[in-house]
Amino acid sequence: MGGFILRRVLYMIPTVIVISMISFAIIQLPPGDYLSSLVAELASSGETMDNAAVAALRERYGLDRPFYVQYWKWIEGIIFRGDFGQSFEWNRPVSEMIWERLGLTFAVSFTTLLFIWAVSIPIGIYSAVRQYSFGDYLFTFIGFIGLAIPNFLLALVLMYLSFKYLGQSVGGLFSPQFIEAPWSLAKFWDMLSHLWVPVIVIGTAGMAALIRIMRANLLDELYKPYVVTCRAKGMPEWRLILEYPVRVALNPFVSTIGWILPTLVSGAVIVAVVLSLPTTGPLLLKSLIAQDMYLAGTMIMMLSILTVIGTLISDILLAWLDPRIRYQ
Amino acid sequence: MKHSLDLSAGLLAAALMAAPMAVAQDYNQAPMLDPLVEAGELPPVAERLPAEPYVEEVQERVGDYGGTWRRAIRGGGDQHNMVRSIGYHNLVRWSRDWTEVQPHIAKDVEVSDDATEFTFTLRDGMKWSDGEPFDADDIMFWYEDVLTNPALTPGIDPLWTVGGEPVTVEKIDDQTVVFKFTQPYATFLDRIAYGFGSPPTTHPRHYLEQFHEDYNPDIQALIDATDGVDDWVGLFNSKIGPIWTTTYWQNPELPTLHPWRLTNAYGEAQRIIAERNPYFWKVDAEGNQLPYIDRVVYDQVEDNEVILLKALNGEIDYQLRHLGEPQNKAVLFDNQQSGDYRFFDVQASNANQPTIYLNLSHPDPVLREIFNNKDFRIGLSHAIDREEIIDLVYFGQGEVSQAAPRPESPFYVERLAKQYIEFDPDLANEHLDQAGFAERDANGWRLGPNGEPISFVVLATDGDGRTETMELVQQYWQDVGINAQFRPVDRAFMTTTLIGNAHDAYIWDAPGGMSDSITDPRGFMPFNTTVIHIAPLWAEWVMNPEDGEEPPAEIVEQVELYRTIDTIADPQERIETMKQVLEMAADQFYSIGIRQPPNGFGIARNNMKNIIDPLAMSGPLWHPSPNTVQFFFEGGEGNE
Repeated sequence: MGGFILRRVLYMIPTVIVISMISFAIIQLPPGDYLSSLVAELASSGETMDNAAVAALRERYGLDRPFYVQYWKWIEGIIFRGDFGQSFEWNRPVSEMIWERLGLTFAVSFTTLLFIWAVSIPIGIYSAVRQYSFGDYLFTFIGFIGLAIPNFLLALVLMYLSFKYLGQSVGGLFSPQFIEAPWSLAKFWDMLSHLWVPVIVIGTAGMAALIRIMRANLLDELYKPYVVTCRAKGMPEWRLILEYPVRVALNPFVSTIGWILPTLVSGAVIVAVVLSLPTTGPLLLKSLIAQDMYLAGTMIMMLSILTVIGTLISDILLAWLDPRIRYQ
Repeated sequence: MKHSLDLSAGLLAAALMAAPMAVAQDYNQAPMLDPLVEAGELPPVAERLPAEPYVEEVQERVGDYGGTWRRAIRGGGDQHNMVRSIGYHNLVRWSRDWTEVQPHIAKDVEVSDDATEFTFTLRDGMKWSDGEPFDADDIMFWYEDVLTNPALTPGIDPLWTVGGEPVTVEKIDDQTVVFKFTQPYATFLDRIAYGFGSPPTTHPRHYLEQFHEDYNPDIQALIDATDGVDDWVGLFNSKIGPIWTTTYWQNPELPTLHPWRLTNAYGEAQRIIAERNPYFWKVDAEGNQLPYIDRVVYDQVEDNEVILLKALNGEIDYQLRHLGEPQNKAVLFDNQQSGDYRFFDVQASNANQPTIYLNLSHPDPVLREIFNNKDFRIGLSHAIDREEIIDLVYFGQGEVSQAAPRPESPFYVERLAKQYIEFDPDLANEHLDQAGFAERDANGWRLGPNGEPISFVVLATDGDGRTETMELVQQYWQDVGINAQFRPVDRAFMTTTLIGNAHDAYIWDAPGGMSDSITDPRGFMPFNTTVIHIAPLWAEWVMNPEDGEEPPAEIVEQVELYRTIDTIADPQERIETMKQVLEMAADQFYSIGIRQPPNGFGIARNNMKNIIDPLAMSGPLWHPSPNTVQFFFEGGEGNE
């Protein structure tokens, strides 16, 4: 086991290096750079910027240098000084900007994850055990609707409903009077009353997928001989199902941890934009549009590294849970 | 002989009325400041105001103190949201209706007869928001240590130069500075009354010296202590930038002359709060220190739809930015009662929108020859059914027009606005035949001078109906045998392409429809290389004859006539000369315009008073600020 983990960790190093290069290169792919985006942005609101000033800024930001020079400047700061660079658009250190949004991002994503698991595992089990019943069809129907409706649309609809019928302040995670207030029970309660919209919106698609996975896996297990044996020996039905086939069927949950970790941090970008959540999602989108390369690069790299770490964790967990896996 | 800048009659009357008020004990202040004065944390109001405060002429009535003005701001890059609501206080200002320049931070301006010297008299006893005095030394700091410091200002904004020579600023005494140019610059005051003229009055010397190499010998210690800066230039630039950059709004410590000062930085919190500046230098006619409203808050949102919902929900007190879009009008109209708001008009200022520019300095000699054929452009113009575009794309809003100053502007030239405007495919075909492109190939495409079918690409970016318009125009042009294709592109891509002179044609708009025709003639001649119109290479040459390419003689003549405007002292004569320049633009027929857009709109809560309706504003005219100091809530109660 120890050798297995060490080997996996060693593999991660070249992967991360390559990822950092690719993420930096991807940001440089679109034509132009931050300054041409800035000039375009200014032009669209009728404001102008002199070409000489643009050239001077380009030199100052080092945007006129070749790709590898810019890459080295960025990566060297990270390795030797833990400095992820400055965001051009926000004029602030990248690490600070990401860090302050991380707390709420985790809150939203973690609640969503709990919501998904709490809802989809029981429903998945129910649908498999009572296959082709009315309840199974109903949940399948709801699940497919959840998969089929684009998240942002659902977000807009829910926002409109909560504006129209609940008279609630829309967008964000807090009512206006709580935004600047220090943390208190009332503020926490206010957050919970706003949290349900993003949780449901982000949760529906994931929930539907997990219900289907759970149902399919469990169906595979339910008719295996060991289940029949247990039943023949007189084991109570619910205890039997929960103790054996469900445990086996849970494998996919563990192996998806690898993808969950990055989504925990990135939030659901489009939904967060639509709902104006103070999470990292809108920041990532905005930085990509503005070609704010250090901010965008850092976020993409961070997400990729989290995917790598998440994959490692799920590999380890799987190896530990599932005796069929060999350490080769 | 010098002559003083004319004061408007109204302002003069207000100033006269206010004269007896200039007795110290007669000034009033906002109730929120009373406890601070009593506790001795603030000096009394009379000591905080300058000896001769600016007297604001109110729109409806003297207001009530109090309340919070709620707005919504986008995260990142939306600093103009703050600039246009609480920023933009320059030495001189445009009158509320955008017709004349008036004194502002400067209490008086004198212009020499040859328009080379501008003497500004400041207000004695005026203070920054931290209570330190504001005087000529602050302007000298901006001039000597920022504008003319090559490290801080690598390229001087053309606004401060004439004939390639930058301005010289001299201090006469503590309250007097003079701006001198080597050549006449008659439009200087017009120009610095716009937003980009703000830098002289945004640099507090007493605060900024510590970040300047020349004043702080121990600056290295500060550089080391600040994250993310490598040298003093980086340090200085992290503390202040021009007000139109994000930096300016990210340093709450920076003293200002604005009516409200930030308490936290843009981008660091979900809600940005600006509180009243207790040292603000304006009063109303009854001696009440302005502004009336206590605080301005900006809730940060990520999406324009959320701003719309907030407005419908009554969570926005006054705003037009991100809201005043044609597609929002209906839903905002339906919810007026529940949201408890009303509309106000925003004067349109564009000369045209959208406008199609063929690249007259095209790198390919064949296309250049075709585009420079005036008959060809006339033919294309007649081929367009503008009424249909207005009906289909713009909900019937707007007037058909070429790119020209608007009828209500003093610069209106009818021929420029209305020539070649009728939709007439026969006439279009006639002109295209006349242009020498009568031959067609088997597909019906007209053949160019090289015997190949004429074909070009028009770049279109998203927004303001540009792509939808191009879709229609492409069809109109194909109907008369011109194989035009339009390509939707990203804005940054378009800018890069335009700067590189690598485009055939593109669709955008034309600025300069109102008083700004004279300062922003980009739609009427090749001029200024920032957002390039008409012909990038020619514009480069016009700005600097060492770059680009010399345009044809008539265009050089037009540019030279335009340049004489700065030598004319009389405003009326300047207008006449500008009209001649516009007549020459009509002869050239540079661009193909579609329509002049109608007035826009914004919303204000019903209890918010003294708002300006209709509101004049444009790209460089950053209204409603500085008029927002007189906004107030009926009874002083906000809507929170």
